[in-house]
Amino acid sequence: MTQITRRSAGRLIAGAAAITAIGARVSSVHAADKEVTVGINLPFTGADAESATRIKNGAVLAIDDANAKGEVKGYKINIMLLDDGTATAGQYDPAQAATNARKMASDRSVVAAVGPQMSGSGKAMAPILSQADLAIITPSSTNPDITDPKFAAQYKPGGKAIYFRTVTTDAYQGPNMANYFAETLKAKALFVLDDSGAYGVGIADAFQAQAQKKGIKIIGRDRLDPKAADYSTVMTKIKSLNPDSLYYGGVMQAGVKVVKQSYDILPNIIKAGGDGVYAPELLSGAGFPAAEGWYATNASPHMTEDASVENWMKRYNDKFGMSPDDYAITSYDAALVIIDAIKKVAASGKPVTREAVRDAIQNTSLNTLQGQVKFDENGDLVSKVVSIFQVKRDTRYPADDMVHNFRYIGVAPQT
Amino acid sequence: MASEATTTTAAVPRRRSFALAATPRRRQMILVAFIVAAALFPILHNNDADIDAGANALAYATLALGLNIVVGFAGLLDLGYAAFFAIGAYTYGILSSFQLEPAWTPFWEPFAWLELVQRMPQPGGDVVHFTLSFWLALPLAASIAAFFGVLFGAPTLRLKGDYLAIVTLGFGEIVPIIARNWSSLTSGAMGLNGIAAPHLFGFNFGIDAEPYFYVALSMVVLLIFVSFRLRDSRIGRAWMAIREDEIAASAMGVDLARLKLLAFAIGAAFAGMTGTFYVAKLQTATPEMFGFPVSVMILVMVVLGGMGSVLGVVVGAILLQLLQSWFLEDLTTWLHALGRLVGSDLLQRVDLVESIELIFGIILVVMMLFRRQGLIPATRRPAALSFEQQHAEVRRGSAIGLKGFSGEKTDVPALEVRGVTVRFGGLVALRSIDLTVPAGGVVAVIGPNGSGKSTLFNVTTGLTRAEGGSIKLFGEEILGLPPHKVLARGAARTFQNIRLFPNLTVLDNVLVGQHARLRTQALGAVLRLPRTRAEERAAREWAMEVIGIFGNRLTPRALQQVSSLSYANRRRVEIARAIASRPRVLLLDEPTAGMNPAETIELAEQIKQLHTLGLTVVLIEHKLDVVTSLAQNVVVLDHGEKLAEGLPEEVRRNEAVLTAYLGRNAGAGSAALV
Amino acid sequence: MSTFDLLLQQTINGLSLGAMYALLALGFTLVYGILELINFSHFNVFMVGSFVALWTLQALGISGQSVILTGLPLVGVLLAAFAVTMVFSGLLGVAIERISLRPLRNVKGPAAMITTIGVSYILFNIILLTVGADSKNFPNPLPTARFQIGGAILELREILIWVVSLVLMLGLYLFVQKSRLGKAMRATAQDPEAARMMGVEVDRVIITAFFLGSALAGAGGLIFGLYYNFTSFIIGFTAGLRAFTAAVLGGIGNVPGAMIGGVLIGLIETMGGQFIATAWTDVIIFSILVLVLVFKPTGLFGTLTPTKS
Repeated sequence: MTQITRRSAGRLIAGAAAITAIGARVSSVHAADKEVTVGINLPFTGADAESATRIKNGAVLAIDDANAKGEVKGYKINIMLLDDGTATAGQYDPAQAATNARKMASDRSVVAAVGPQMSGSGKAMAPILSQADLAIITPSSTNPDITDPKFAAQYKPGGKAIYFRTVTTDAYQGPNMANYFAETLKAKALFVLDDSGAYGVGIADAFQAQAQKKGIKIIGRDRLDPKAADYSTVMTKIKSLNPDSLYYGGVMQAGVKVVKQSYDILPNIIKAGGDGVYAPELLSGAGFPAAEGWYATNASPHMTEDASVENWMKRYNDKFGMSPDDYAITSYDAALVIIDAIKKVAASGKPVTREAVRDAIQNTSLNTLQGQVKFDENGDLVSKVVSIFQVKRDTRYPADDMVHNFRYIGVAPQT
Repeated sequence: MASEATTTTAAVPRRRSFALAATPRRRQMILVAFIVAAALFPILHNNDADIDAGANALAYATLALGLNIVVGFAGLLDLGYAAFFAIGAYTYGILSSFQLEPAWTPFWEPFAWLELVQRMPQPGGDVVHFTLSFWLALPLAASIAAFFGVLFGAPTLRLKGDYLAIVTLGFGEIVPIIARNWSSLTSGAMGLNGIAAPHLFGFNFGIDAEPYFYVALSMVVLLIFVSFRLRDSRIGRAWMAIREDEIAASAMGVDLARLKLLAFAIGAAFAGMTGTFYVAKLQTATPEMFGFPVSVMILVMVVLGGMGSVLGVVVGAILLQLLQSWFLEDLTTWLHALGRLVGSDLLQRVDLVESIELIFGIILVVMMLFRRQGLIPATRRPAALSFEQQHAEVRRGSAIGLKGFSGEKTDVPALEVRGVTVRFGGLVALRSIDLTVPAGGVVAVIGPNGSGKSTLFNVTTGLTRAEGGSIKLFGEEILGLPPHKVLARGAARTFQNIRLFPNLTVLDNVLVGQHARLRTQALGAVLRLPRTRAEERAAREWAMEVIGIFGNRLTPRALQQVSSLSYANRRRVEIARAIASRPRVLLLDEPTAGMNPAETIELAEQIKQLHTLGLTVVLIEHKLDVVTSLAQNVVVLDHGEKLAEGLPEEVRRNEAVLTAYLGRNAGAGSAALV
Repeated sequence: MSTFDLLLQQTINGLSLGAMYALLALGFTLVYGILELINFSHFNVFMVGSFVALWTLQALGISGQSVILTGLPLVGVLLAAFAVTMVFSGLLGVAIERISLRPLRNVKGPAAMITTIGVSYILFNIILLTVGADSKNFPNPLPTARFQIGGAILELREILIWVVSLVLMLGLYLFVQKSRLGKAMRATAQDPEAARMMGVEVDRVIITAFFLGSALAGAGGLIFGLYYNFTSFIIGFTAGLRAFTAAVLGGIGNVPGAMIGGVLIGLIETMGGQFIATAWTDVIIFSILVLVLVFKPTGLFGTLTPTKS
């Protein structure tokens, strides 16, 4: 008896699920407009879920705006949300990213995509997307390999660039900041730390190489376990080597602890990180006075003090109930680029196909939140502007207010 | 009469148990149906993404099959299984990409000739480009992973299983760290670039999902086959014996360290192979892909499907992968819809996709508490005995029909114990004991509880260490040998508190007893060449013959799990298991304990027959009538010392013995002893 | 900084770490000594403990970094926080034993260990899903006094960690050595069957072991928060693994051994970080674990695990 009821209950559930699934599909079909789909592939499961959500919201905001305003005449833009994080990996999972790339490639209505967050996923996706001629714009993956012409055979077997970025790669962000260390801050003895992650290691390596070239003495390099709590050992070791500066390549999971514990042990040296520490957690998680004086960079021209950006941030906040971070902006910009490309293709009267959209993205010249976006033939931003900020507490505003507690210093020198 | 009993009642189980492919027919059908359905899937459902997800699920199924050998078969908890996955992945990843480019020297010529490397012109001088074929990488990665499995398993396998769990966990942590820090070899956190896709007869797999799906499916089928073959062999039985009771397994001739290492190595090899496949499919690898969550995930698959159940773990793996990629989202949507319907805010906010790790945790706990055997248990309960079988008249068997037992006529004593002392901390369990058992004799060891009788058996069979002295079996020194070697030399035992392998069948228990007498190794078990078949058939026949000693008490139950047997029958199985090892000396520790008088007489009769066949028997026994009827010589132990020795009649009248047994008031007790 | 000062400073760092590892290691050792079970849920009982401590302090009105107490209010707040955290964590440990482990007590094989992994995952994800992934600031009501010892700096909170840990561990040691229940625990660890026959209530002994071990883990969680000024869902894993290694190093089942093992692991971590690199810390620690298991499986100070045949 029990078995029968259990089984029939199972069937009921399956049936109901099918009905709702159909229902969802039916309701999404609009009468007049033609439809195109933009994929969004980010790791919503696992360690990076929260930042992935912020990034997603940026793109969703742009697409919702476009649909509401009828930006692309005669077209409705749908979103295909894909999760490349798995519980198996506990974070982003390249295998799932590859599956998702195929999912987008095999659905002809998908004309372009935003993502991925992590370069590890990007490496798995790029070959598949290239074969399908489907453009993807990453708002945050900065590992230079994927757009490096040296690896073109692997990452763009289809020949054309399909992996675009609205961020600058580590190949510029790290070195430009190293130039600033040498030219302006006059650093002489440097210790470099990273957080074991692909991003952190990459940017720290690039920074270190350029710093060395610029004649800064590298007195040490070490790697942190982001899951460990205690960094006082390595801070004590750094202290014993008497550096005048510390560079940290990594994100805020380890960053919070680096900022806190380096403040206790190394209060008076130059401390800096990449865009990984240009984040609200630096202000709220590490807190003051520990965060005071930290340098951070951002791989795009500085915009957020601009009135239009402030207005945008308010809208984001109102819509999603959370504050945007920098990658929310680059993600918004990525979506703007895609919408603009769809618009141009549609306006030209040609059918909106992924091939046409890719070509339009390649030829983009668009004013976005971060300034003018143009891509080179590899898919990288033409503008290699790296902005430098320094944390300076402005007590008139809340402690985690990025706009007012990160003081804009200027553009990092390219040589 | 007796021989008739063995043939007629054994007929039914024989037919089933002798079918060498021990998978029941229905399961075979299910398996074939599964393979056919899987093979048709890409054709019927031409969606690249779903085929790709299917290939991933199958890759996880191979991992689950590998872990099942370690956890399910051998009962060893491995929490760092992903490390072997990583080793396999990096093996192919490094040897088929541009990661290592050593300068070209003539040393590489032969490798170039074998097409393992290419000479690549570079401005600064020619370099070597590794071009290991995917198909060669599969066995290579398996071997390298197995090598590391042995390397790390060896130090811990001597210890209890728990330590293995923690050391493997540590190993699982270390391997990704090394991959991250040794970036000249692995490209570190940045991940490998340019890993070559597999080729087959000029066809490049490229990035299409389909060929990978079929490779993964072939691997699953191959590993299912290997798993079944191993399970139903001497090797698999030994693993399961270890899982059920290590001490009994070693006392029955299983070399614990060797077989555990073998399980560990084979499990690692499966993972290494899968790693190569996985990295070839993704064409990149980063250290993050092989962390602790991956190891736990594979464990959840095995636990969900059923530890030790080959088909179960495949189902568990596929189920969990599909759960992640498909069902959870639908279920969440459905829950939200239900929430809107009933106006429950909570239901609308539930996100099952986000809670997947929580679900894993719950699966682990719930399965362990309520369904340890998993969704598809490894052993189904055999059909209950028929009414006729249960109520059949008890037919006593006989050892007389036992073929191939020939007595040894020699003047060398079968067992000769000289000056053996055993100490536990301050307690002296045996003090300088001497004991001689003539070949073909029956000697009984008696004494009050705690007098050292079982310790004498333990030290003889290598389970307990002695401080000094000598124990010779037919003139050969056996003191200091590990238990499995003692058994191989010809001393088999039973235990006072019965140590069977409760989840194995009667037949399998008895087959484990023959472990030391069979030759089949892992490779032989998988290939199952005629020699292996013959050996296995002979082993089963011998086992049924030994079981037949006990008439229809055991024979109809040969395929029942021993945990379902009565106490007396378990004693019989344990004796049968010991006899199956073709011992020269049989040590029985209270064989009739817990038996009623009729059963006791029956068993005493059977032991006597064994003796008549020439087997030497040493017996610990409390029932003095049994002792009197069987033993030619009696040794009395008390407080670890030999109190008396002699004919049963003499010992019975010995003052000291009476005192030891019955206290000072010996006169009153003499009646009881008679 | 002279080499001597450097060594002194790293020793101070190592002792603070070691004190925390020791508190955690005691929980492993108590449970293993009695049940021969590696209790993976212990990792996250510690983590949950740190959150309970955080909420307790917040309930007492201590939040943010600015509230600094001295004198009696400080002692009062700390006592209350320790009491609440330890009792809650202890009860959590008891609940875990009662609900998920007792039914498996007589089940052979890895079932019980797998269950503790499951429980660990459940605790971990409950906190992750309810509290979120970002690390939370932990209020620190301690005055930030620093003492200069040569070139090394010793902070008040470090002294506090040492003192509190030492007091708790001494208390546990005396309890195990002197009290009736403690003696029953040792008896059970030696030989559960014999202990049962001698009238020891094994259930009670096991519950006590779980309660004490978990309470100490909770205290460790509070100390963790006070020391690092943050807590997060992720803190259990690394600390737990190192603490387990400490327990093995000291001889699992051996209470003083676990304390010394914890301190040793703390020192190994800091010295390894200083002279090799923190990138290799886990490799160093696990190599030690393997070496100990190979060459001295009973640990440096011997085990008290039962010798069953």
